[in-house]
Amino acid sequence: MTTASIPRVRGLRRVLRAALGRAYPRIIGQNRERSWLFYDTILPLLGTIAFVYVYKALGAPDRFIGYVIMGGATTAFWMNVMWNMAAQFYWDKQGGNLELYMVVPCGITPILLGMSLGGFVATVLRAVAIVLIGSLMFHVRFDISNLGVFLLVFGVAVVALYGLGVTFASLFLLWGREAWHMAELFMEPVFLASGFYFPVRALGFWAAMGTSLIPLTLALDAMRQLLFGAAHPALLPVWWEVGGLVFLAVLFIILARFMLRRMEYLARREGRLSLRF
Amino acid sequence: MAIAAAARQEGSLRRWWRVLRVSFWLGWQIETNWTDPLLFFIYSLAKPLGGVLILVFMYFVVARGGQGPMLGFFVVGTALWPFVLRGMMGIAWGLISDREHWKTLRYIYTSPIPYRGYLIGRALAQATSAVAPAVITLIFGRYVLGVPLYLATVNAQYAAVAMITGIAGIVALGLVVVSAAMLISGEAWRMPEGVGAGLYLVSGAIFPVTTLPAVLQPLAQVFPLTWWLEAMRRGLLGPQSLRSFAWASDAQVLVYEVVVTAVWIIVATLIFGVAEHRARQLGILDQESAY
Repeated sequence: MTTASIPRVRGLRRVLRAALGRAYPRIIGQNRERSWLFYDTILPLLGTIAFVYVYKALGAPDRFIGYVIMGGATTAFWMNVMWNMAAQFYWDKQGGNLELYMVVPCGITPILLGMSLGGFVATVLRAVAIVLIGSLMFHVRFDISNLGVFLLVFGVAVVALYGLGVTFASLFLLWGREAWHMAELFMEPVFLASGFYFPVRALGFWAAMGTSLIPLTLALDAMRQLLFGAAHPALLPVWWEVGGLVFLAVLFIILARFMLRRMEYLARREGRLSLRF
Repeated sequence: MAIAAAARQEGSLRRWWRVLRVSFWLGWQIETNWTDPLLFFIYSLAKPLGGVLILVFMYFVVARGGQGPMLGFFVVGTALWPFVLRGMMGIAWGLISDREHWKTLRYIYTSPIPYRGYLIGRALAQATSAVAPAVITLIFGRYVLGVPLYLATVNAQYAAVAMITGIAGIVALGLVVVSAAMLISGEAWRMPEGVGAGLYLVSGAIFPVTTLPAVLQPLAQVFPLTWWLEAMRRGLLGPQSLRSFAWASDAQVLVYEVVVTAVWIIVATLIFGVAEHRARQLGILDQESAY
């Protein structure tokens, strides 16, 4: 096929096609690689099971096991955002793809959009698998009191989370080896700050409000309220948390756009785009 | 010819020591020089402290305040686990990063050094970087959480023997993991993490082995880490420690640790030799996967 015969698309269609093109290897490619399925599902599950046994050793009520399973599923999302969004440009730099992304006519934004979309679809399958396997193993029942609100919380949280991922991706664009270590740094401290394995209210009201800047804090608290009702020590009423998540989603999308331009400029100026080590 | 003659003159023990020293230095540089010392210090502390605080909050939401032996169990386990992460997984990542990332494996392997010694030196460098977080986590446990870690009751000799044997056990496990990493390419990056997660679950790192289902409890006893963690808890916390093996005396736990570690060292040496031979025969020792 000559370049003249390639259909030219512009505007939104080009963005959409580029995003779908980038999402393709994430959805199809990841599911073709069976070992990735195994590692992405089993690794968070092993950590989750370990925390379930901690609660069992402490003699905790059954709902805490539900907390941990939800936390384990959320871990899959956080790991996806940090390793496959934030640090992705680091891998792309190593593989030589970053330079290609920079010269394609669609620009970098649809690439990131595609990464988010593909990453989300692939991760949601793993998260569902973690919840199903965890629930079956430990006989946990989840009774969602309001499915519509639950899905709304989840949807808004995902937008805010991947917005944060794009913001981080632009920040990581400047980094070399630091990227790997910084992604590592954002694991356990975030699991703690967002209350992955315990109700975030236990941190204290104001500390928990501070850590609510991470979208998963409010999302987990709201979803736990919808799953466990009055037994869950809530941080804020559900609708306040939905409002907070909408605010974070808008904030991170605007911030991501600004940071992407700024960091791309800095990375070009300082010659770091093709700096591998 | 001259190099071979020089190597013969040096003696294998001295050569091993030199390789250990130099690879330790190299590993330390790779581990630490990506940033300034302050950020490295924060980075080293954030994971274990984050880990112990998660467990502490889990404990407090259930226990609603108050002290208990479980807190000490958490603190010692979380303080020591970075040795496993960095030592065992570090040895595997040493090989994988040389092969995939730095692309230096073939040059290192063909140099006149014992390759096993080089990998162990790299692992020990990684394990050394776990010392500061371990000490600070223990101090945090003692002074912030009130865990009974008193100098008067710490059995220093017992803990020292358990610690040295534990590091040997970690390196032995690392050699087994690195043997597997030699023979696989695509998923080599994630395999050590998977092994680490599995061991975290079965070796009594954050909860007593007795909490595990009965079918998994004998499996836990196969790994040197289980005995090492048990011995370290007894050495550091004294009689107040919560025990995974209440039936065993302190001396028995130490003997089990030494014996299980010795078996793993022998097994690891054999497996490493077989894996190295097989990887060379298949021509995949330096095969890059582009992941």
